[in-house]
Amino acid sequence: MTGRLAALGMLVLGAAAFPSAWAQPLPPWSEDEVHAIVRHGPWPPPVPRDPSNRVDGREAGIVLGEHLFNDARLSAGGDMSCAGCHVAGRDWSDGRARAMGRVELDRRTLSLWNVGYAHWFGWDGAGDSLWAQSIRPILEPREMGSDAVRVARLLREDAVLACGYRRAFGEPPGTDDEKLLVDAAKALAAFQATLVSPRTPFDDFRDAVESGDREAAARYPAAAQRGLRIFIASNCAACHFGPRFTNGEFGDVGIPFFTRPGEVDAGRLGGITRLADSPFNLLGGYNDDPAGAGALRTRHVQRQHSNFGEFRVPSLRQMASGPFMHNGHLATLEDVVRHYSQVDPDRLHGDALPLVRPLGLGAEQRSDLVAFLRTLSAKVVPRPAPPPLCP
Amino acid sequence: MRLAIAFMAALLLAPPAWADCPLDLGRGTGLVVFSDHYIIALRPEPLHIEVGEPFSLLLNVCTKSDRPAELVAVDAQMPEHRHGMNYRPTIVALGEGRYRVDGMVFHMPGRWEISLDVRAGEESERLSHEFIIK
Repeated sequence: MTGRLAALGMLVLGAAAFPSAWAQPLPPWSEDEVHAIVRHGPWPPPVPRDPSNRVDGREAGIVLGEHLFNDARLSAGGDMSCAGCHVAGRDWSDGRARAMGRVELDRRTLSLWNVGYAHWFGWDGAGDSLWAQSIRPILEPREMGSDAVRVARLLREDAVLACGYRRAFGEPPGTDDEKLLVDAAKALAAFQATLVSPRTPFDDFRDAVESGDREAAARYPAAAQRGLRIFIASNCAACHFGPRFTNGEFGDVGIPFFTRPGEVDAGRLGGITRLADSPFNLLGGYNDDPAGAGALRTRHVQRQHSNFGEFRVPSLRQMASGPFMHNGHLATLEDVVRHYSQVDPDRLHGDALPLVRPLGLGAEQRSDLVAFLRTLSAKVVPRPAPPPLCP
Repeated sequence: MRLAIAFMAALLLAPPAWADCPLDLGRGTGLVVFSDHYIIALRPEPLHIEVGEPFSLLLNVCTKSDRPAELVAVDAQMPEHRHGMNYRPTIVALGEGRYRVDGMVFHMPGRWEISLDVRAGEESERLSHEFIIK
C-alpha cells in the first residue's frame, strides 16, 4: 500500500502540470483519501434484482415497460406519458425547476438514472419499490390523473399491449383492474431499472487509483483532483456515499420548504405517512415476495420529528445541467456549491444534520469542486427505439 | 485489538456466577460488552456491516448475580452528527438469555454507538459499544 501511495503522490504532482488557474503542486493522496476515492466505485455495479416484482430483469417485462412508459393513453386525457417529464435526452428529467403536470407541481422531476439501485423512491420516499412509485403519478390528479379502470382496459383492449402483457406475465390480462394497474407499474419498473448512467472520467480515475495506474490517473484534470480533495475533506460522502454518490436516505440541507405563503412541503415526514397508508407498499398484498427481506426497511422505518423538511439525498451522477435540489431552488451547479459554502445554520431545521455547515470555500475552491462534480457525468449515447412488443 | 482485549478481560474477570453464560456469540469476530452487573456477547449478522444495508444482531445477555436478564431496547446513534438511525429495530427473545435484533441500518459512514438497555428484576442499565463503519 505504501508503494502505491507514493506512486499516487507522483502522479498527482504530474497531473498538477495541467493548465490550471491554481498552479500549485498537489500533495499526495493519503491512505484515507485513497480509501474514500475507491469506495465510490467500481461503476457500474450489478443492478440488484427486485424480488417484489416478478418481471424485474425479464426481457418481456422490460420491453412492455418501455412501451407503456411512452404511452400517453395511460393518462386521463390521453395526452401525458411518463416520458413527457422523464425525457431520455434530458437525463430522464425535464430541465424544469418544478415539474409540470396538469398544473405546476411543488417539486422537481427526479432523474431516473440508476433508479434500480435505490431503496426509497420519490423526494419524500413515499414509495418503497420502483413499481409502487410508478403507480403514484398515474393516479395523481395533478399529474396523469388516471385510474385502475382506464389502465386495465388499455391492457385488455389494445391487442399489441395485451400480447406484450401475455409475454411478460405468462397469462392474458385478467379482470382485476387494480392488479392490472400494479402489473403495468411492475413492467414500468422493469424498464426503468435498466437505466444505468454511463461510466465517467471520475470512474476512470478511481479505477486507476485502485490499480496504481499512474498514466491513466494523470489524465484526470488537476482541478477535478483538487475538487475531489475538498469533497472528501468536507465529508460530503457522509450522505453522498458509495458508487451512486448517495446513501439513499434523507436530509435537511437548508433549502426552503415553503411551497407558497402559509404552505410547507413536509418532505420525508409526509412521505413516511403516505408510505404507511399506501395499499401498494411492500407490506401489502401486491408484493411478489411477501416472505422475503425486501420489506424489512418498510417494516422498521420510523417516523421522527426530524423528518420534517428532509428530502432524499440525490445521486451526484449524471446530474444534467439543473436546476437542482428538491424544488429547483438552485439554478446551477455553481449555485449548489455556493449554497454549501455559505449555508446559514440558522435556516436549518432544529433537528437538521449538524454536519451541514458552511464550508467557507473561496472562489477557486468552489470552481474546483464544480470541476470535480462535472466529472461525475458523461456523454450519453442516444437511446434507440424500443423493440416491437409483438410481431 | 481493543475488542479482543475486552473479550479476554471479560473472561479473566468473570466471577464464577458467569461461568454458565454462553459466550459463543462473542468468539471469533463477535464482541463481548460488559459492566459490573451484566455481560453481553453479540454478533452482527451479516458479520460485516455495510453502510446503508440492514443487519441484525444476535445477543446473549447474562447477569453477574445469575439472575435472569432481559434485553429491553436497542438503539444506535452517531454522536458527532447528533442523530440516530432512521429505523426502529425489533427485539425477538429466543429463550435462555438469547435475543435477535432486526432492522438495524447504519446509513452513514463514521462512528456509531449502539446502546443496549438491559434489566434484571428492578435493576436496569445501559451498556454501549462503538462501531466504526467505513
